[in-house]
Amino acid sequence: MIDFKNVVMEYPNGNVALKGINLHIDDGEFVFIVGQSGAGKTTLTKLLLCEEKASNGHIIVGNYDLSRIPNYKIPHYRRKLGMVFQDFRLLPNKTVYENVAFAMQIVGTPARKIRRRVPAILNTVNLSDKHNSFPDEISGGEQQRVALARALANNPDVIVADEPTGNIDPEMSLEIMNLLLKINKLGKTVIVVTHEKELVDYYQQRVVMIKEGVIVEDRVGGMFE
Amino acid sequence: MKSFRPLYFLIEALKSLKRNGVMTLASVAVLMSCLIVIGGFSLLVYNIDVNLEQFGEMNKIAVFCEFDASEDEITSLQKTIEELDNVKDVVRHTKEERLEEFKKDHVDAYGDITSEENPLSDSLEITYKSTDTKKIENLSYELEKLKSEGQIRKISNRYTLSKKIDNFKHTVMMIFIWFLAILLVVSVFIIVNTIKLALISRKNEIGIMRYIGATKWFITLPFIIEGMLIGLAAGVLAFLITKLVYNTVVVRAFNVATFISIADFARIEPTFIVGFILIGVVTGVVGSFISLVKYLNT
Repeated sequence: MIDFKNVVMEYPNGNVALKGINLHIDDGEFVFIVGQSGAGKTTLTKLLLCEEKASNGHIIVGNYDLSRIPNYKIPHYRRKLGMVFQDFRLLPNKTVYENVAFAMQIVGTPARKIRRRVPAILNTVNLSDKHNSFPDEISGGEQQRVALARALANNPDVIVADEPTGNIDPEMSLEIMNLLLKINKLGKTVIVVTHEKELVDYYQQRVVMIKEGVIVEDRVGGMFE
Repeated sequence: MKSFRPLYFLIEALKSLKRNGVMTLASVAVLMSCLIVIGGFSLLVYNIDVNLEQFGEMNKIAVFCEFDASEDEITSLQKTIEELDNVKDVVRHTKEERLEEFKKDHVDAYGDITSEENPLSDSLEITYKSTDTKKIENLSYELEKLKSEGQIRKISNRYTLSKKIDNFKHTVMMIFIWFLAILLVVSVFIIVNTIKLALISRKNEIGIMRYIGATKWFITLPFIIEGMLIGLAAGVLAFLITKLVYNTVVVRAFNVATFISIADFARIEPTFIVGFILIGVVTGVVGSFISLVKYLNT
């Protein structure tokens, strides 16, 4: 469960990015957060990731109150989230397998468990045959699938995808979206932040539209208007 | 889930050291030089101590009687001195005894000297009770008075010489402490930059680690180990170089000067290796912490 209650975010330079956001997302939901550049989507993502703290209001994610979370607990909270970025953020000197395994290594997963789980995740994102390739040897779509696999590695409750199709061609975009839906069907909450109208309209999921820091529309089966 | 895996941290630290090879070498070289200078000063101070010990009997003053002093005059002088303040005892060495001692030490040049040719006079060896400077100075003053009265030919006060050497040792120590402080600051500065470079070169990786949920300690531990490894390498190398230079150059050079004793390195070897590694590792860790402190606070 994710709850934004009267969330205001004002940056030190005086820019008010979010002006009293109220948003409730249930476990297992699939939600598109849409809006034009500068609408406040990125700020919302940063707040969810605990990169920033809200100036006012409360953000509850599962058992965590992000407005009160102490710094030392942030890493543990982030393990409950799987993050996918527009620019993939893969480690160029590690293979596909190692990039996924790395996510598990850094949270201290035993090697035996890593050896068992990584091939299974790569199979979920249809990348079993690429496990020995380096990021620069595979396409943008495949790189995004690796990023998705890495986000799934620690079995998070929530997947947050920030413009996941921004750097890949339309055909691959559909594949990534289908994978996100598949992950959602497995019971994960999926939040996709995007400004791609066609994709949002095609999938007919819950759409939350932000404009100038305010939610102007929140509709299941919505369109990007 | 286990989160502490020493091998993982060690491998990450070694990889990082290799990645920033030039800065790693610079850090090791500077810290090593610092430790060698520390070692050099320590050896100097240690050898001064050894030589001071050889003066031994620092709480003694020798007075030499006039050549023509009679038996009565010497006995009376001994009694007078025994009654002075801060005198524990007075032992007389006759000129014959002193000649025998002298002949033993200089058997080649003066081995055949006869008692008729004896150039020495009787002496009185005074052992004083307190090493308090004022009391010793008072005793010296009283002895000087006896000298001016013509009862004593010469006073050899080892305390004054020992004091001078001790003062020299303190001067060396002061220079040593300043050198140590300056060199350690330079070493820490170089290590700080090495670790900062390592942090910059792994910026993307660290960013990803943070998003995935790695704790700060998990991220920073390899950098701290990196600093420790720099310190360890510098400590071991500095020890080996100091030992080599001391045994091959210093010991040989001073062997010709018989009046100076050079300490055996083997006696202080354990202290040196432990000290060098400890200073090296602590400096390395401090350098790492300084570069990471900004990161740890965010």
